[in-house]
Amino acid sequence: MKPRREGGKTWTIIGGGVSILLILGWMTGVAWSDNSLCFGCHQDESLKKQDARGKSVSLFVSEPGFKNSIHGKLSCSDCHTHIKDDKHAEGGRKAADKRVDCATCHEKAEKEYLQGLHSKMIMKGTERAANCYDCHGKHNIFPSKNSKSMTNVSNIEKTCNRCHADAVFVKEHALGTAIPQEEFKKSVHGKSGEVTCTSCHGSHNLRSLIDPKSAIFRSNIPQTCGTCHPDITKEFIGSVHGALAARGRTDSPTCTTCHGFHGIKAKLDPDSPVNEKRIALTTCPQCHAAERISKEYKITTSPVKSYYDSFHGLSYRGGDTYSANCASCHGVHDILPSSDPKSMIHKANLQKTCGNCHPGASENFAKGRMHAIASITGEDFGEKVVGWVRVVYIILIVMVIGGLTFYNFTDWLRKTIDRRH
Amino acid sequence: MTKKYLRMTLNERMQHLNLAVNFTLLVITGFALSYSTAFWVSPITDAPLGMTLRGFLHRLCGVATVFLGGYHLLYLAFTERGRRIAMDMIPGLKDAQDLWETLRNNLFINRPAKALRMPRFNFREKLEYLGLIWGTLVMTVTGFILWFKTEWLMYFPMWTWDVARTIHFYEAVLATLTIIVWHFYSVVFNPDIYPMSWAWITGDLTEHEMEEEHGMELEKIKAEQKGELKGFAQAAVVGGGRVYPGHQQSEEKGPSIRRFYGIVQSFNETIKNWKGT
Repeated sequence: MKPRREGGKTWTIIGGGVSILLILGWMTGVAWSDNSLCFGCHQDESLKKQDARGKSVSLFVSEPGFKNSIHGKLSCSDCHTHIKDDKHAEGGRKAADKRVDCATCHEKAEKEYLQGLHSKMIMKGTERAANCYDCHGKHNIFPSKNSKSMTNVSNIEKTCNRCHADAVFVKEHALGTAIPQEEFKKSVHGKSGEVTCTSCHGSHNLRSLIDPKSAIFRSNIPQTCGTCHPDITKEFIGSVHGALAARGRTDSPTCTTCHGFHGIKAKLDPDSPVNEKRIALTTCPQCHAAERISKEYKITTSPVKSYYDSFHGLSYRGGDTYSANCASCHGVHDILPSSDPKSMIHKANLQKTCGNCHPGASENFAKGRMHAIASITGEDFGEKVVGWVRVVYIILIVMVIGGLTFYNFTDWLRKTIDRRH
Repeated sequence: MTKKYLRMTLNERMQHLNLAVNFTLLVITGFALSYSTAFWVSPITDAPLGMTLRGFLHRLCGVATVFLGGYHLLYLAFTERGRRIAMDMIPGLKDAQDLWETLRNNLFINRPAKALRMPRFNFREKLEYLGLIWGTLVMTVTGFILWFKTEWLMYFPMWTWDVARTIHFYEAVLATLTIIVWHFYSVVFNPDIYPMSWAWITGDLTEHEMEEEHGMELEKIKAEQKGELKGFAQAAVVGGGRVYPGHQQSEEKGPSIRRFYGIVQSFNETIKNWKGT
C-alpha cells in the first residue's frame, strides 16, 4: 500500500500543483486579456527604451486608440506572443521580441505578401522595406473601409508616400529620381480620388516592374488599365500595337507609352501627351520618327516627315486642331495596318476616312500616294513630278531673282557713283 | 512750282492700294502656313482659331485679288485711258534695247553713258506688270485647285494637287521676292527716287522724274501741248495729253458698264482737277 499511498501523495501533489498552476494561469490570463497589466506601464507616454543603435524608441501605446481599433478586443499577448513572462513586466529589462506574427490570423494576406516585392526586399536585408505594420499601423489598425484606416482609399497615397515621397529613400533604393506623388496628384487619377497607388500596383502582392507577374509589368499593363477601362483595352489588344506588345515587343507601345503613368492627364489637358495639339508632335513621332526604332524594325520615318510638310501637318503645327493629325486617319486605340480590311486606312475604307473631314470626297479623292515625299528620285510618278517642279522652280527663282538683284545692284552702283561728282 | 504730270488717276491709285493690301495679306497669311512654327507666325498661331482664320483670310484676299484682276481687265477694255495703258504696255524691241543699254551704262561699258529716253512705261515697269499678270494667273489657277480639292480630285489624280501646291508655294516665293527686289528698288531704293516715289499717293510725277524715267513720253507730251492739243488747256496742264474723254461718251441711257465707268471717270476727273491747280 505504501507505494500506492506514496504514489497517491505524489499524484495529489502533482494534481494540486497543476490545478494551482491552472488557477494561476487563468488568473494571469484574465489579467493579460483585459490588458490592464500591459497598459499599467505602456500607458505612460514617457516610457522609452534604447534600441540596438542607441536610438530612443517610445514604448507608449494609447489605450483608447487600441480599444477603438479593429483589434481592440484582442489581448496584447494574442499578437505579442513572446512576452508572456513576468520578467518583462517586473523588471522591464527583457527585450521584447518585437516580431508580431500577423499570419497567425491573416494567413492569406501573409501568403500574398511573401510573394510581393516588399517581403523580398526585407529578405534581402533592406531596412526600410514595408512590413505589415508599415502600411496597416500597429495598435491603431482599422479596417480598410473605415476612413481613418491607413489603407483606406483616401489614405493609401499618404501611407505609401511615407517612404516613396521621401527623396532620400527614393534615391537610396534606386527608384529613380522622380517622386511619383508629385506627378500623381496632378493626374486625372489622382484628382478623381477613386484611384490610388494600389489600384495599379496591387497591395500585398505588389511586385516589381520587372516581375512578369506584376500588374505593372509591360505586357500586363493593358489588363491592369482594363480593370477600369475594359472597352479600350479590348480595342487596344486587337490593334497592331496591342498585338506586338502582347508578343513581348518592348518597343511596341502599351497604354503608358502614350498616356504616361503616374501623371496621366485627361485628353483635353494641354499637358497631356494625347492632347490633340501634341499627339502628332511628340506622341506618335516618339517612335515613328525615332532613328533607333525605325532602323531596327525597318519602319520608315517618312510618314512623319511628309505629314509635317503637308497642308495638314503645316496647319497642325501652327495649332490648327481642325487639321488632321495622325489619329484622324489612323485611329486611336484600334490602329491597324493598311493591309487589314478593318483598318481606317485600308483601301476600301479610305474614302470614308477622308470623308470624315471632306464631305463629298469622291472615290478618286482617296487614291494616290498619301505620305508622298517630293523627290526627283522618288518611287512614285507623282513624287517625281513634284520633285521636278520644285527643282525647275528653284532654278527659276535663283536665276530671276539673282538677275534682278544683279541688275539693280549695277543700277544703284552707277547712280551712287554718278552722285559723287 | 514744279510742273506735275499725271501718272495714276485716283481709280488707278485705288487699284494699286487694293492690290498692295491684298498682296501683303496674302504673303503673310500664306507663308504663315508654310512656316507655321516660325517666330513671326506666333501672333497668328497663339490666337484662338488663328490658323483657321488665317486660311479664311487668305482665301478672302485671294478672291479679292481675283476680282481686282477682273476689274482691271474691264478697266483696260472699256475706258479710253485703259485701252491706252494696254497699248503702251506692249513690250517691244525698244524695251530690250533700253534694258541692254541701261546695263551697259551701269557697267561703264558705254563711255560716256548713253542718254536713254524711255516711253510712258519703261522696260522695268513692263517687266513687272507682265510678271504680275503671269503671277496672278498662276496663283489664281493653283489657288482654286487647292481650295476646291474635292471637286478637283474627282477628275484628277492626287499628285496633280501636290503639283498645284508646289507651284503655288514657289510662285509665291518668286512673286514676293520680285516685289521686294524689283518693285521696291524702283519706287524706294533707287537713289533717284529715295525715300519713295509719291505717285502711288499723289498720282503725279515731277518733270524731273519724267525726264529720268520717261523721257520719250515727256517729249511727246510737250509736242502735243505745242501742237495738236491747243484747245485742251486744262488737260494739258495736268493730264499731259493723257486725258480721256470717257465721261463724254457715257451719255447713253440705261445701266451699262460704259456708263458705270463713265461715272468712275467723272469722279477721277473731279479729283484730278482739284489736285492739279
